Amino acid sequence: MMTRSRLAFAIAAILGLAGAGLAYAHGDGDPSAAIDLVVNSPEGEVGEDEGLAAWENIYAVVSHPRCSNCHVDDSNTPMWSGPSYGEARPHGMNINAGASRIGAESLPCGTCHIQSTAPNDHPHAAPHAGLTWMLAPVEFAWFGKDSADVCRQIRDPERNGGRDGAGLVEHIVHDAQIKAFITWGFNPGGGREPAPGTMQAHLDDMVMWTAAGMPCPGE
Amino acid sequence: MSLAGTIARRTFLIASTAIAGGVAFGVYAVKKPHPNPLLNDLAEGEAAFNPWVKITSHAIILVTPHTDLGQGARSVQAALIAEELDLEWGQFEVSAGEPAAAYYNSALGEENAPYLSTDDSFAASATRTAMAAVFKLLAPQVTGGSSTVPDSFLRLREAGATARETLKKAASRKTGVPAAELSTAAGNVVLPDGSRIPYTELAAEAAKLAPVQGAKLREPNEWRLIGKPMQRLDIVAKSTGALKYGIDLRFDGMVYAAVRTNPRQGGELLSYDAAAAEAMPGVRKVVAVKNGVAVIATSTWRAFKAVDAIECEWGPAPYPAEMRAHWDAVSNSFTEEFLDKVWRDEGDVEAALAGEILEAEYRAPYLAHQPLEPLSAIVKVSDDGVDIWVGHQVPGYAEQRVAAIAGVDVENVHLHNQYVGGSFGHRLEFENVDRAAEIAVQMKGVPVKLTYTREEDFLHDFPRQIAMSRGRGAVKDGRIEALDLSIASVSSSDSQSSRLGQTVPGPDNQIPAGAWTAPYAIPNFRVSAYKTPPLAPTSSWRSVGASTGGFFADCFLDELIHAAGADALEARIAMCKFDVPRKVLEAVGEMSNWGADLGPGRGRGVAYVESFGVPVAEVVDVSVIDDRIRVDRVFVAADVGRIVDPINFDNHVKGAVVWGLGHAINCEITYSDGMAQQTNYHAFEGMRIYNCPEIIVRGLETAEKIRGIGEPPVPPAAPALANAIFAATGKRLREMPFNKFVKFI
Amino acid sequence: MKLTVNGETRTVDAEPDTPLLWALRDDLDLTGTKYGCGIAQCGACTVHLDGQAVRSCQATVALAEGREITTIEGLGGADAPHPVQAAWIEKQVAQCGYCQSGQMMQAAWLLEINPDPSDADIDRAMAGNLCRCGTYPLIREAVKLAAAKMRGA
Repeated sequence: MMTRSRLAFAIAAILGLAGAGLAYAHGDGDPSAAIDLVVNSPEGEVGEDEGLAAWENIYAVVSHPRCSNCHVDDSNTPMWSGPSYGEARPHGMNINAGASRIGAESLPCGTCHIQSTAPNDHPHAAPHAGLTWMLAPVEFAWFGKDSADVCRQIRDPERNGGRDGAGLVEHIVHDAQIKAFITWGFNPGGGREPAPGTMQAHLDDMVMWTAAGMPCPGE
Repeated sequence: MSLAGTIARRTFLIASTAIAGGVAFGVYAVKKPHPNPLLNDLAEGEAAFNPWVKITSHAIILVTPHTDLGQGARSVQAALIAEELDLEWGQFEVSAGEPAAAYYNSALGEENAPYLSTDDSFAASATRTAMAAVFKLLAPQVTGGSSTVPDSFLRLREAGATARETLKKAASRKTGVPAAELSTAAGNVVLPDGSRIPYTELAAEAAKLAPVQGAKLREPNEWRLIGKPMQRLDIVAKSTGALKYGIDLRFDGMVYAAVRTNPRQGGELLSYDAAAAEAMPGVRKVVAVKNGVAVIATSTWRAFKAVDAIECEWGPAPYPAEMRAHWDAVSNSFTEEFLDKVWRDEGDVEAALAGEILEAEYRAPYLAHQPLEPLSAIVKVSDDGVDIWVGHQVPGYAEQRVAAIAGVDVENVHLHNQYVGGSFGHRLEFENVDRAAEIAVQMKGVPVKLTYTREEDFLHDFPRQIAMSRGRGAVKDGRIEALDLSIASVSSSDSQSSRLGQTVPGPDNQIPAGAWTAPYAIPNFRVSAYKTPPLAPTSSWRSVGASTGGFFADCFLDELIHAAGADALEARIAMCKFDVPRKVLEAVGEMSNWGADLGPGRGRGVAYVESFGVPVAEVVDVSVIDDRIRVDRVFVAADVGRIVDPINFDNHVKGAVVWGLGHAINCEITYSDGMAQQTNYHAFEGMRIYNCPEIIVRGLETAEKIRGIGEPPVPPAAPALANAIFAATGKRLREMPFNKFVKFI
Repeated sequence: MKLTVNGETRTVDAEPDTPLLWALRDDLDLTGTKYGCGIAQCGACTVHLDGQAVRSCQATVALAEGREITTIEGLGGADAPHPVQAAWIEKQVAQCGYCQSGQMMQAAWLLEINPDPSDADIDRAMAGNLCRCGTYPLIREAVKLAAAKMRGA
């Protein structure tokens, strides 16, 4: 069995490798490698219908395999699904990210998914992004959940990392700056199917939905 | 191995002529030894008693001509010499030697005679003898067909004994003590007073003597090494990352190359645009090769990147572009027109099948070899010849091909055989050697290292034959009354020989391999082989024909036993006609405690397949957990007559089981648009540690002949697993890979 | 670029996006680290980067710059093998041996974080390391033997 201190060491080692700002940015660390997004604040009130329409777009993104495969429940098992897989199946190689959600207990995600903002251009290679690879926190589980469930989770600060509407918008903007997972989802490379739409459209939808008061389907 | 099979079939033809026509070859030609290649560059004072032992004033060199693909060939060959020469581990160097006729494979010819291994009839033994003789005349140096130990067991011990007796004679001349009063130990000749003379000090004297022939070999009870656990010679280097494989070598001034050839195997390159590639960092040159293009650069990675940037227009595949057409072609070849041979026909099958019958169709897909060391080769073309550094299973043929490409005499081509990171039949082919030579002739004077990307390697692997079988059977009174098995397959032997520019007439014994050799007394029993016209090019894949034929025959047999209401193991034992196979089946029953209640959600299956003359029985236990199959345990019993190194034996049986199971569970090569769709391990996974069962091995030593273990445990693994899954779930799996039909853990 | 490999500073002639694997093999002749698949499917190229097992076919030299790189040659050698290497020798795990550098580097990391791994722990941590020869049963035994050696048992 692994002791608590050993696990702490493992997590520290993994995160140490992934320390903020250490990501290799393609083009010799050129910050222009980041994606510039614009927060287009809506003019005037946003109605619930518009908000719900925006939510459906958001759900199409977050339920897409590029996103939901790593937003899994406390089985801690990332999924492989999408057009090329047929039926969804657990990530190959017996992968389990553990309660640490970064694989610190046995096989860190970062063993194969390195931290890099370079393009993902090799088909079937382990994808990488500007953050160390990990599962989303367990309360953010999306895989296999319906639109209403995911919606209520995302607007609940108890289950979304303590974010209000502005925080959710900022989350996307920040992701684009460090080329993290959302950014990757829209440009996964290597022949993978990207999440639907563009990152800017996703941000626009988030702005609209939060401005509408974060309405969820079925309410 | 099928290339071996090809050579053997050609041999058989000649041998048949020899028997039928009386005398085709003089006894002298057969008995005359091939020249000793060690004499070519022997210095003053150095002794080479035969092609395998060389002693200088400071070193003892043992030549081990069978290529080490990971099966421990160098160690086992050295051990056989050291046993008789009284050498301790660490007292000698091992060399792969240079390819030579003296190293012809003496076991393959006999092995491939088209008779059952249990057949001791005059015709069978006469043919085996004739084939062995003709094989010697053709003199191919081949590693394959699980023949390293059978080929070496007697020859190398004799080589060691000859060297030992010659050294004693040299010591006798030096000291005046009669040779009969001398003994040997740990690299020394020992005098009656206990004083010792190292072999190296006797080299110069021994070099003056004619080697002492006919030395008496040690009795088994005198063996120090054979049958005892040994530490393989390469184990420390392989456990510290120090061992240099072919892909690891480098030479001064060496450049690095990568290739891209038509992903439609054998198709042409119509045109290409290398402008972008030529402008990339470190790129020295872009050159054309057969059906493709190569980049020469200052590092492997730069070559990989640049070759990938070349725009290529490829021609069509010289075989059906889509998989469906491949299966249709196999399916359509169960006709008189394509009948290759009826290999076994006992009783009256048609009459016995007149009533109620059971029918089933089985399929086995193309499978890639894909050992973990990608293909590579280093070639240097100089004014005075060509040097090749590569691990190859038929090094002499590789030299001939390079000689043709470089336009030089084969005497001036030197292949330096290397340790190989796995082969499973892959290194019987010549793609890497040919391409490297084509590049090197365009870079004269410079050593060129060609490394294949994994994707290029997958796309140009020559897979295992695709095959189908149709079985018909009848049962009566709790027994199998009739079994009629038809197998249709492309001929991997023909495919391989076509790449050697040769055609081999006569039936291909690999199509029915593993099926027609079943040791069972079934009143009406027929095995027919149909040869499907060529499709995608295929090659020898670990255990070759038996990997498909064994699956078909044993699974269908299992269906009939079940239909008869009999016990799967007891029925096989009851039908078994021969002692050695029966002992193997009984052993696996005892090991697995066959008949014990496994509890709910579990099942076990047994399979028996003979290949390369080795009877192997396996029992597989599976559990069903949440609708997924987990392979829990495998019991294996095999009889190779004599086990040279029990540790290596055990490891290889386990590895062969993993190989057989992993590919049966989740691997296939399929074609679309003429290209293999699986281009890396993500789509061709095989077994990993988490789904590897516990494997329990027992080696029996009752068979009369010594045989190799590299391949024979492969064929029973797939049918034993399929039979176990049937026992656990009631579902018959008649097509590989099984994960198309059931889920695994 | 400068890399710190097995405690030494070494210079490599490589573009920043070059996989560390090829800098180690072609520039530094550290060929114990193997090329197997190039896409993190086989684990043959595993090295340690700041103490963590990483597939060097995925890690670029830019990422590795400024970090401590340990390869199989740095783990130990014939004269002073790491306990994992000693266990691999004792159990004679290798057949072709081509995957074993990566297997040992992965096992060494596992034993850093888990000194007494169960079969299930081993099957998790080692599942990314492919062995085409099928030495898995011996890998399990050798990991446990190495664990015992490292615990001083």
